[in-house]
Amino acid sequence: MKMEEVSVSSLDNSKLEALAQDILSDLVEDACLGLCFEVHRAVKQGYFFLDDTDQESMRDFEIVDQPGLDVFGQVYNQWKNKECVCPNCSRSIAASRFAPHLEKCLGMGRNSSRIANRRIVTGNNTNNKSESDQEDNDDVNDNDWSYGAEKKGDALVVLACVKFQCD
Amino acid sequence: MLKRIMSKDSQMRAAINQKLIEMGERERLKELLRAKLVECGWKDQLKAHCKDVIREKGLEHVTVEDLVTEVTPKGRALVPDSVKKELLQRIRAFLAQHATL
Repeated sequence: MKMEEVSVSSLDNSKLEALAQDILSDLVEDACLGLCFEVHRAVKQGYFFLDDTDQESMRDFEIVDQPGLDVFGQVYNQWKNKECVCPNCSRSIAASRFAPHLEKCLGMGRNSSRIANRRIVTGNNTNNKSESDQEDNDDVNDNDWSYGAEKKGDALVVLACVKFQCD
Repeated sequence: MLKRIMSKDSQMRAAINQKLIEMGERERLKELLRAKLVECGWKDQLKAHCKDVIREKGLEHVTVEDLVTEVTPKGRALVPDSVKKELLQRIRAFLAQHATL
């Protein structure tokens, strides 16, 4: 066994571990010293306490930590249960459903033209009773995810009617 | 005989430390540690402690030595285990790769 060669294999794990710990220790000490110098400079240059104000003002702006409030102390779900009156149809709509309802009601937005087209297609094959139902259908159609199912069903109805007429 | 082994050991340590610096790894580790310590709130904790020290010693009279003696032991103790673990992992990886002569 050569004594001149020093390699990892001749050093056991405990030595390596001790070395790693020492390196970490040096790094932590560097960090601490860095902080000390930073603070000391801030003190001597006079800007260390700059972000402090008097106790009273600090208490005014303290972070609020209560249930139902955000960090500023405002109620954040206050508009959940409020109702708004639609300017178009004068109905009372829940606040969270208001935007989609307005989209359909005013005939703007991505989906309202689709609904209108669909109604034109199916409106000819069903009796007039559906006309008066259309306003009430608004809320049913508000859920976009049911779209696919409804569309398919309506298309089948159209096909069936056309077939029936041709026979 | 023992003396020769010891000096080989410290020789090796010196070589490793040199490699650490030369390859820029020490600087990277320093930055990593600093970032982690800020993230976990260590810096803020210690800064608050510094405020107490300064108020105690007086703003005009506080010296670097005051801060170092007050802050360093607390600083060492407050480093979270997760941060230590992560740093040690990286150091061990470096040693595994480069600790040969």
